[in-house]
Parts: sequence; structure tokens; C-alpha cells
Amino acid sequence: MSQKQYGMVIDLKRCIGCHTCAMACKVSNNLPNDIWWNRILTDGGPSMDTARGTYQHFTMDYYPLSCQHCDNPACVKVCPVGATYKDEETGIVRQDYDKCIGCRMCMAACPYTGVRSFNWEEPKYSIDFPVGDQDVPTHQKHVVEKCTFCYQRLAKGEEPACMESCPAQARHFGDLNDPASDVAKLIAEREHKQLLPDRGTNPSIYYLV
Amino acid sequence: MTETTSAAAPAKAPAAKFGGKGLNVGIVVAAIVTVAGLVLWGVQLSGGLVQTGMRNLDSWGLYITMFMFLVGLSAGGLIISSVPRVFGMEGFGGISKVAVWTSICCTVLAIGFVVVDLGQPLRLWELFAYSNLGSPLMWDIIVLAVYLILSIVYLWATLRFEGGKGSEKSLRVISVVALVCAILVHSVTAWIFGLQQGREMWHTALLAPWFVSSALVCGTALVLVVVVALRKAGYLELAQENVVKMVKLLGAFVLVDLYFFGCDLLTAGFPNASGAKVVAMLVSGPLAPFFWVEVIGCAVTAIIAFTPKLRTNPLIVAGALLAIVGIFCKRVQLLVGGFQIPNIDYAGVVTPYTATNWAGGMANAYQGMVYWPQPIEFGVVLGVVGLGTLLLLLGLKFLPLKPVEKPQ
Repeated sequence: MSQKQYGMVIDLKRCIGCHTCAMACKVSNNLPNDIWWNRILTDGGPSMDTARGTYQHFTMDYYPLSCQHCDNPACVKVCPVGATYKDEETGIVRQDYDKCIGCRMCMAACPYTGVRSFNWEEPKYSIDFPVGDQDVPTHQKHVVEKCTFCYQRLAKGEEPACMESCPAQARHFGDLNDPASDVAKLIAEREHKQLLPDRGTNPSIYYLV
Repeated sequence: MTETTSAAAPAKAPAAKFGGKGLNVGIVVAAIVTVAGLVLWGVQLSGGLVQTGMRNLDSWGLYITMFMFLVGLSAGGLIISSVPRVFGMEGFGGISKVAVWTSICCTVLAIGFVVVDLGQPLRLWELFAYSNLGSPLMWDIIVLAVYLILSIVYLWATLRFEGGKGSEKSLRVISVVALVCAILVHSVTAWIFGLQQGREMWHTALLAPWFVSSALVCGTALVLVVVVALRKAGYLELAQENVVKMVKLLGAFVLVDLYFFGCDLLTAGFPNASGAKVVAMLVSGPLAPFFWVEVIGCAVTAIIAFTPKLRTNPLIVAGALLAIVGIFCKRVQLLVGGFQIPNIDYAGVVTPYTATNWAGGMANAYQGMVYWPQPIEFGVVLGVVGLGTLLLLLGLKFLPLKPVEKPQ
């Protein structure tokens, strides 16, 4: 286990499904067209923002989904060149674009459907100048990428972009191994769940339910 | 290697009618197909893998299917050639070299399919510079390389032995090592899939032995087809009783493979939990055509193999081809099946990079097969197969692979 394990606690009772965090992520990381590292999924009907059930018994929840920064990541084990790796200091699962050979083994390994994305062609952008953080690594064709917990921001002592912009303040970020941190306290106090716990990956994203 | 060519020379006389114009035409055609494939690969790399049917939700496709399939095919040659030598069986010496050469070509093809699947083939050197020895893919690369080298050494040792050099004992040792390596190659290829906790269909301990049995099926079948064809073309001779032995062997392998499939389906389906989805997808879902072609094809092969009256040359070839097609269908089921059942299927933002059938959202992405190859993939596959055919034919033309009398 790393000394620190940065993680996120997302309060599903607060999330209003507004996709602001997804937009903040996209802009801050200068994501190319059609690429979303952070998506807000609807646990409800067959389409986005629809409910499941019958009249007076409808249910609908939102699951913001991005890389789970697992304590025991399936992707890191299978990468043949170590292009995806667990950062010793922070416990964050990172991705080295310059190293990635584009074999997509990590995408097959990751149980969390769709959090890893591949640049299937030369990245295209709607605006012809880069946006967001200046120190975001340049996106490359034919490599795998995903949420980095905004590593460039953490390095400057800031929090991930999705945290800052959430209007409902549903997101909390911090060191899960530090009992005094917000995230550790919330997990201790509130009922919570992790996604696909049966896969044994021990994700660092906790959902308060 | 002058001594080996001279040793092979006397054998040329009885089989003189093989080769000539037909072989040369074959070589030229294979070369043209190879070049066309290279051009298409260039198109794929410059325009991007977006031209293929692969997307984020189905990140592997026909290339990796072909990789699995070719690794399987490569087994047969080596096993047919080394097993008789390891256990001292007589009568198979004549096909030994051709079988190993087929095996070498298939291994080269398998490696070729991994290379065309890569997004960044120019970074291949990193595999050796930054090897993550914990990755099953890395194990496979190492084992495949060793396997290829061993097959070549084995062929060279056989030729040397026939030229009167080297001892039979050393040849036997090499054949044992090559045999062990062949079994390892299939197990390790299976582990690329079987060790992944993320995909319900792949994550089973049965996968490695199952890959070995499938490899034995399509490997033996390929050798049978090649040997019967070459015998007809006058390249080599093999007693019919030995062909029958191989057919029986094929029948046994097919039954073992079907037995494993049965065990797997029962274990997945019986709890009537998440695994039942896998069974339904195969038996009556989007992958049903591949499932039933495999099951029925393999059953027919077994019937041909075990009914003496049916063991005529055309039916033997038909049965062997059915087995090869069946195992290919199994590879398709395995590959697509791994992606066909998402762990998280909640509705969300879907883009052209998420799935080929993205326009209707998550619910539509899995209607039918989540992956189907695009024309460029068929073209590149054809090109890679062309390369293998080219190698095979060049070997038949220039290497002394024809049988020689056993030097005693």
C-alpha cells in the first residue's frame, strides 16, 4: 500500500446529475472531441436522465464515473511496459502517454466499463487553441488515457477540477489513509459503497448512498 | 547448410512433379497480397484505428482473434512432429519437417497480428527496455519468441541429423523442450484473457487447458489438410494408416475440446447468476451463430474421425476444415464475448469512440454483436495471411523440407 492513497467520496444524495464536473474535467484537461474521462451515468431507465419503475414508484440515481484509482488496480498488473502505473507517493493510477504502445490490454483488464479511453485517431478539438491547465500533457494519437485526479493540479497544491466546480458540493477529495481527512471521516460516518467490490480491486472512489 | 541440401537431393527424384510453375505463381500472388496488406496497414496507422470496428467498449477485434487462432494453429505442426520423436513412434518422419515449417509460419503470423493491432508499433522496443514481467502479455511475448527460436532450432537440428550430423539423442531432447514450450505458449496466451478479473467470460481456470486442447484440434487439422494436399501434389508420401492415426487423434482432441466447453457452460450457467448471461449470449444471443457452427462442426469432425467408413480422403479434409472453422468460431466467441457483457451498463454520454453502434446510446451499443470488423481489418488480415503463405511457399520451394530416407 502506498503511504498516501488519494481518493474521492461522492455523495449520491447530493449529486443532481448536472454534468458540471464532466465539463470541468473536459476543459481543464483539454480533452479532445468525443472524449470524456468523467461521465455522469443514470441508474434508471434505458436512456440518460430517465427513471425506472412505475408511476409513484420511480427511482433514478446518478453515478459520476471515472477511473476508480484502485488500491489493487487490474490495469497496472497487465500493462507490458509499465505505461500505466501506481504513483508511489499518492496512490494515484497514472498513465504515461509517451510510453504507451497502444496494445489496449489495460482496457480489457479494467472492470469499470468505459473509464479508459483510447485516442482512435489524431486528437481533434472544437477550438483551435488549447484550453484548461497549461501543464496538462499533450494528448497523443493511439494511446490510452483516463482520469488522473488532475495530477497537474495536485502538484500545485490544488484539488481536481471536478471537485471545485460541483455546485451541489457532492464531491470530497483527500487521503483515505489519513483518519483526520474529510474523506476518511465521511466513510467512517456515512453509509457508502464502492463499485464492483467483488472484483477485488478496492477502488478509491466511494459513493455515499 | 550445403550438407543438408545434398542430403535432401536424392529425395527430389520421386517427387519431381511438385513445384514448378504453380508454386511460382503462388509465391508471386502471396507477395502481391502481402504488399497490399502493408499498404493497408499504412493507411490504418496514418488515418487512425478509428477506421476499424474497435472502440472503447470493444477494444480488441479481429486482429487479436486471429492472434489467438494462429497461436493455436502453430501448435499442431510442432506437436505432430515432436510427439512421435519424443515417444519413439515410427512412420511420421516424412512429414516432420513440413509440419515444423507450417508451425514456424503460423508463429510468425501470430506475432504479425499483434503488431498490426498496436497503436504505436514504433514503440515495440519498449517491450524489451521497460518490460513489466508481471504482465501476462509480456510472458506471452517472451514465450512466443522462445517458441519461434526453438522451432527454428528444431528444424535445423532435424536437417543436420538427416545430413548425418548430431545425435538422435540431442534431437530428441530438443523435441521434448519444444513440446513443453508449445504447451506453455497456449497456456500463456490463454492467461492474457483468463487472468483478467474484469471480464466474466474470460476469468476461469479452465481457459489454459482449454486453449491447449483447441490448439491441438486446429493444429492437427491443419497438418492433416497440408499433408493430404502435399501428398496429392506429389511433394511427400505418407502411408494411409498414419493419416488414419492422425484423424483418430483429431477426433479425440475434438471430443476433449467439446467436453471442456460443456464443463464451462455448466459451471457458468448452473448457479443461474451472472454466468447465465454468458450462456444465454452464446446459445441464443448475438454469438449463437458462432457457437452452433463450432459445436456442430466439431461434432461432425468427431463422427468422421471415429467411423471407419467415413474416413475417405475428401471427408477427412472436410472434417479437418470443419474443425479449423469451428475453433475459429470459438475464438470469435471468446473475444467478442468478453466485451459483449458490460459490468456497468447505466445510460450515459456515448460518443463515436464508445462503440460502433453509438448513436442509440448504451442500450443500443450492445444490440447484436458489440464488435464487427470493418473492411480495412479484413484487408490487413488478408495481407498478414499473405505473408504467412509467402513464407510457407518460399520454404517449400527453397528449404530441403522433403522427406528423406531414415539414416540408420
